[in-house]
Amino acid sequence: MSTLAHTIAVRASGVDMFFGTPENQVVALQQADFEARRGELIMLVGPSGCGKTTLLSVIAGTLTPQAGTVEVFGQRLDGLGQEELTAFRRKHLGFVFQSFNLIPTLTVIENVMVPLLIQGRPFDEAHARSLAIIEKVGLKGREDGRPNALSGGQQQRVAIARALVHEPPLLICDEPTSALDKDTGGHIMELVRDLSRSPERCVVVVSHDHRIFRFADRIAEMEDGRISRVVDDPKLLDSTHL
Amino acid sequence: MYRLALNMLFGDRAKLAMLLCGLAFSALLMAQQSSVFFGIMSWTYTPMVNIRAQVWVSDPMVEQVNDAKPLRDTDLGRVRSVDGVAWAAPLHTSFVQARMQDGNFKLITLVGIDADTFAGAPAVLTQGRIEDLRLPDTVIVDEWGAALMGRMTVGPDGKPRSTPLKVGDTFEVNDIQARIVGICKVKRAFTGGPFVYTTYDRAKGYTLGARRTLSFMLVEPQKGVTPAELCDRIERDTGLKAWTSDTVIWSWGERSLARNTFWWFWTNTGIPFSFGTAVLLGLFVGIAISGQTFYSFVLENLKYFAAIKAMGAGMGVIARMLFVQAFTAGLIGFGLGAGMAQGIGRAMIEKGMPPFVMYPQILWATFVLVLGISFVSAIIGIIKVSRVDAASVFRG
Repeated sequence: MSTLAHTIAVRASGVDMFFGTPENQVVALQQADFEARRGELIMLVGPSGCGKTTLLSVIAGTLTPQAGTVEVFGQRLDGLGQEELTAFRRKHLGFVFQSFNLIPTLTVIENVMVPLLIQGRPFDEAHARSLAIIEKVGLKGREDGRPNALSGGQQQRVAIARALVHEPPLLICDEPTSALDKDTGGHIMELVRDLSRSPERCVVVVSHDHRIFRFADRIAEMEDGRISRVVDDPKLLDSTHL
Repeated sequence: MYRLALNMLFGDRAKLAMLLCGLAFSALLMAQQSSVFFGIMSWTYTPMVNIRAQVWVSDPMVEQVNDAKPLRDTDLGRVRSVDGVAWAAPLHTSFVQARMQDGNFKLITLVGIDADTFAGAPAVLTQGRIEDLRLPDTVIVDEWGAALMGRMTVGPDGKPRSTPLKVGDTFEVNDIQARIVGICKVKRAFTGGPFVYTTYDRAKGYTLGARRTLSFMLVEPQKGVTPAELCDRIERDTGLKAWTSDTVIWSWGERSLARNTFWWFWTNTGIPFSFGTAVLLGLFVGIAISGQTFYSFVLENLKYFAAIKAMGAGMGVIARMLFVQAFTAGLIGFGLGAGMAQGIGRAMIEKGMPPFVMYPQILWATFVLVLGISFVSAIIGIIKVSRVDAASVFRG
């Protein structure tokens, strides 16, 4: 196996994804190829409807493509059944959502504990590990409060803590700063970038927010359901096209 | 996850309150209506409670205790001759009109008991002595009857009021005087007439014109003979029908006259249908309110359930979370509803109206039905969540 193969965290090749009926078909992905490396933060950018979210869902194993192969940290996803995909997500993926998706009736620490409890970890262990990661994202002392008592940036920090508490190798972030102001978004992205600096981890971010492109190691631009180009230096990307 | 599931449930207090209201109201309606139903039905076999004997013997065509078919007086001798009978006493029961001193008429349940043994006499006398029944023209009236048959007088405020009958007061039955020598405490009857006890021979006089007056025979088995065994022997030797006096309506067996009376009213009157409708209403209201509220709770949390699915929770985990939430709400709702039903029941028992009998079986049945409502609610939620695509969490 080549050294490059060891560095690849996510690889999607020739992925096709269609929605709707054969008579009224919407093409979301067409022969899409995508690669993300270990230890990097890669952003998926492009205009609305270009297939970013669909590609993210395929990589996350929440959508199964009609054609093509998807491999995440050496695990082929295209042949897995629903239960295996669920188990795969449970172990290998962390999610940061656009609207945080923190459960408002649970406390901060209870929200963070969810992935560990889904894995079947004992409550006490989940509590201790969650407390540690809450401290790491700078929210010590807020663990017993409700999410809606926190600012947007703090809520996104809770979401990041929840995404990382079970130490998944792949972190998927869907528009993580769209609900945040520039400074708060910047702080959040600094945190996410720091988290990506591990050979055992990869961060894939979908974003429209050109203010955060500078945090990416590489940027994959999408157009009409496929990756149109990959830019190694984010400064070279002309955001006016997005 | 179950702890978090409960915290999700208890965290939304408005929804929880609504859910508990639906479940509690449903439990209250089902438990309370069932208890009133069984209370009313327990009145149908009241004579079995008020007139105590181990074995009752009747005409073979008798189906229930309120429908006595008169026997020949000679039948008493035939029963006494059956092996295993310690003693047998005659009993007369009939509904007759009593004429009060103010000219009013009241329907009474006339009970004629054996003057020698007083077999079948009321257990509790609040005034007077049972032996005084041997005096001429004497009767013993039950407490409730004494109040019902009371004399209308004018009170100090000028308003008419009823003064309960007391020892020494008189009324007439078929133009024959009845003088009260005692007041007893007995259970009220479905037929509504007060119990008026007298001797068997005097009861014959009060029912002028009746060719036969022997309604039942009260029989005591000899030591070592069970009531059921004695019933078999009496039926075999005399061709009459013999019954045991147990009033446990839940057990099987054709020997109990109380149980036969209960089921006779069950199958021949509209009472079960009427109360059954109320109980069903409670069930449907519970399903509608609780199902709707729980569904709305699930809808509000749908995107969080989708997120949990995306994070790797299988439908099994989510289904168990929803069951924990629904059954917890069901348990609390049942507790509240059953507690309220008990409270209302106590108030009813103190007033005596309407009758209220909350058997443990009613509580168990209500418990099972409330859990059934919770189950249906949870299933509705599970179906909704199962249709949510985990990928929907990426669609904002």
